Amino acid sequence: MRRWGLSRWLLLAGLLFLYAPMLSLMVYSFNESKLVTVWSGFSVKWYFELFRDQQLIDAAWVSLRVAFYTACATVVLGTMAAMALTRLRSFPGKTLFGAMITAPLVMPEVITGLSILLLFVAMNDWLGMGQSRGIGAIWAAHVTFTLAFVTVVISSRLSELDRSLEEAAMDLGANRVKVFFVITLPIIAPALVAGWLLGFTLSLDDLVIASFVSGPSSTTLPMKVFSSVRLGVSPKINALATLMILVVSAAALIGWWLLSREEKRRQRDMQRALQQGE
Amino acid sequence: MDSAPVSDAGKATGNGAASVRGDEAYVRITSIRKEFDGFVAVDDVSLDIRRGEIFALLGASGCGKSTLLRILAGLETPTRGIVELDGQLMNGLAPYDRPTNMMFQSYALFPHMTVEQNVAFGLKQEGLPRAEVARRVEEMLALVQMSKLARRKPHQLSGGQQQRVALARSLAKGPKLLLLDEPMGALDKKLRSQMQLELVNIIERLGVTCIMVTHDQEEAMTMAHRIAIMDVGKIRQLGTPDEIYEQPNSRFTAQFIGSVNLIEGKIGEDEKDHITILTPWLDSPIYVGHGVTGFEGMDVAFALRPEKIRIQRDEPQQACNKTRGVIEEIAYFGSHSVYHVRLPSQHKLLVNATNTRRWASENFTWKDEVWLYWGELSGVVLTA
Amino acid sequence: MKRRRWLPSPRWALIVPPYAWMLLFFAVPFAIVLKISFAKTTLAMPPFTSLLDWSGQAPQIQIHLENYLRLFSDGLYAMAYLSSLKVAVVSTFLCLLIGYPMAYAIARMDPAARNVALMLVVLPSWTSFLIRIYAWIGILKNNGLLNNLLIGLGIIDEPLQILYSTTAVYIGIVYAYLPFMVLPLYANLVKLDLRLLEAASDLGAKPWKAFFQITLPLSRAGIIAGSMLVMIPVVGEFVIPEMLGSPDTLMIGRVLWQEFFNNRDWPAASAVAIVMLALLLIPIVIFHRAQAKALEAKLT
Repeated sequence: MRRWGLSRWLLLAGLLFLYAPMLSLMVYSFNESKLVTVWSGFSVKWYFELFRDQQLIDAAWVSLRVAFYTACATVVLGTMAAMALTRLRSFPGKTLFGAMITAPLVMPEVITGLSILLLFVAMNDWLGMGQSRGIGAIWAAHVTFTLAFVTVVISSRLSELDRSLEEAAMDLGANRVKVFFVITLPIIAPALVAGWLLGFTLSLDDLVIASFVSGPSSTTLPMKVFSSVRLGVSPKINALATLMILVVSAAALIGWWLLSREEKRRQRDMQRALQQGE
Repeated sequence: MDSAPVSDAGKATGNGAASVRGDEAYVRITSIRKEFDGFVAVDDVSLDIRRGEIFALLGASGCGKSTLLRILAGLETPTRGIVELDGQLMNGLAPYDRPTNMMFQSYALFPHMTVEQNVAFGLKQEGLPRAEVARRVEEMLALVQMSKLARRKPHQLSGGQQQRVALARSLAKGPKLLLLDEPMGALDKKLRSQMQLELVNIIERLGVTCIMVTHDQEEAMTMAHRIAIMDVGKIRQLGTPDEIYEQPNSRFTAQFIGSVNLIEGKIGEDEKDHITILTPWLDSPIYVGHGVTGFEGMDVAFALRPEKIRIQRDEPQQACNKTRGVIEEIAYFGSHSVYHVRLPSQHKLLVNATNTRRWASENFTWKDEVWLYWGELSGVVLTA
Repeated sequence: MKRRRWLPSPRWALIVPPYAWMLLFFAVPFAIVLKISFAKTTLAMPPFTSLLDWSGQAPQIQIHLENYLRLFSDGLYAMAYLSSLKVAVVSTFLCLLIGYPMAYAIARMDPAARNVALMLVVLPSWTSFLIRIYAWIGILKNNGLLNNLLIGLGIIDEPLQILYSTTAVYIGIVYAYLPFMVLPLYANLVKLDLRLLEAASDLGAKPWKAFFQITLPLSRAGIIAGSMLVMIPVVGEFVIPEMLGSPDTLMIGRVLWQEFFNNRDWPAASAVAIVMLALLLIPIVIFHRAQAKALEAKLT
């Protein structure tokens, strides 16, 4: 602690800043009182309230399904896009392609949401389809905006991949398709997992785009939370928040532990190999 | 010390196409040209390689040797030109359709597969029965002495071990042509010389035709039957290591391999059996004991390797090919020393002499005045 | 021996699906937004006039410019755009101020600690954005945590009116977007060769001077990336001003939402979107160029 420079202290302050609100949410989810920030005793009743709220549960189920389908579709499309961007030297329209893929990274969600909704309306107008904008519509919109993020993650990994691995495989007799599935895919698998998780989280968390695009029959969890929160704080939401934070933290910690264990094992192997040498 | 008599030494040969005739050529490269966005990486190269030969493409980075190798492997398509292997046209064939295999500089071992699986990979692509694949893999691993480590993954192997696996993998399919990309590049110095000999032994034992690419002269000279020196996309000289060292065809190749003294001058007497070279470097003309294709007054360079020059204190008996000098610097290498001798003309000659202590009077030191001399066939006359 | 044509057709199978998808769901919609921005609201479903008027002999294009005229004449819109830009620029700056030291500290740690620190910074972003903003309501309101704490400590007597003000919006934005600033900065700083600083020190530069003259300029790419990742989306931010700001907190994202959901004026919302897009075009291009360059650098 003595040797900590200014920046280390600022880092600590920054981390406290990031975590304090989350901690406050969790603490007050156990508050007996309905007035969230006035402590009146320990209670878990809000958790039971939460599970009795059928609308919330339904909305959560919608969100989970959309998130799952989004993540799957986005990883597939994202891998294709990433391969096209990193492996193909040039093709007609490559710049436009790259621009379209990465634009949603910074595009304000209100614009994306509005434009996709208007597309659906137009499609309804011209083709007579998409009248009820249900899960499918939200899914399509989510895939569109998450594609950018997932493509960036995967293409980052692909561009770091040693090309000679793929060339060696071809040299040994495997055609391009085989090379992709037998060599490239297994090696970039961690990036695909990261991409899947990213797509899942982004979709699960989206409010604005889902609000624009969804029809009356499909409400997502963020939409429900938003409408209830506009009216003020609610301890049920605190309970929900706590659950989400716990789940995510647990998943992150497990993932991190697994990865660092794997990394340690690799290091040990490499050390041993060096020592044994020739 | 004196090189064998050579007639017309010093004529610049561009390509080696004339050195091998007709059906002897196992690999025939004809006028290969490769351009990248206007940059010419390989400039109309033609080459014939014999069956069972170990052939080296030697050059500095950027000279086009790696590009040429990749064209042979099918990883690049030539802008123009033809590649034939064992009489079959290779143009248009994908890497996976060619009977060539390459050992990559970084080894490119598949990190998610074991040693066994790596070596088996190419065999599996051929659709061979499992028993056959296993047998061949065993054979290959025994060849490179990696049988015990078959179950390991690449990151569990040392650099030298990885190289052996890479070699086994590239030989497993019994390719018609083996391509090596800087084979010793990733190894430390100690391993290098040992692996060079081992590699050559294995390749010769199997009788595989092999083309290797390297920037390391020693490697090329040690391992290859024939060498092509490349520069800026062209072949500058083609020949055996011996030929290239003793009979360079240009200033460039003379300076590329080993060290050399390049004495600039003009042809004085031009006779059928001898010439003399008049040079500002020396007080007296150089006498060369053979004729050259040239004329009186022609500009030439006389390439004299440092080990071909004798050094002593007293004036030598011979009438020509000698000069006085003062030792300016001595680089001591234990078994030999390289003397930097300043001539009266202010030019410098490098002299390589083995260290003998038989005569104490022959131990030289700085500022010593000495005499240098060489034979009439010791050097090479270069016109390019 | 098989003789296959070397140019593989898997090439097109790879490009077409994502390309087609983005063309349909990203590019085409913008054209539609543009078209609708030139329409007028009606009581029909969908609630806007169509581009082509079929009532006469031949279809005529009817373009209504009133949405744009209103945008440019009504001072409210101009103010909303300007205040959005202001908020975006200021929050970007604040994020930079707080995020840079954090990224710097992490980059200087040894690899094991570094991964832990990075995970800690990123973890909050994996939990719901909405809920984290909601947390600030509980903290910033009049009888919220902050005020209770300050009153309890005797620092103030009356509660500070922070919630439902622009200050709260700033706090919320910095809170939410901080990781987006820290990560690109970290990626850049971690590649900084420490020997450069050693050389500077050897040549007589004190630590702060070395920082300003060497580290800061070299981290320029990271600063730009992080700033773009914060500034551009913040301009169109809706959730944070809606939940933490006052009704007077004018941000263009809210304006768009209100036009669409409250006023049911789709053409006006479209016009707002188009102008927002035009405003953001230059930063977006800057960002895209930087991305493309970074990818190229990695590939060579």
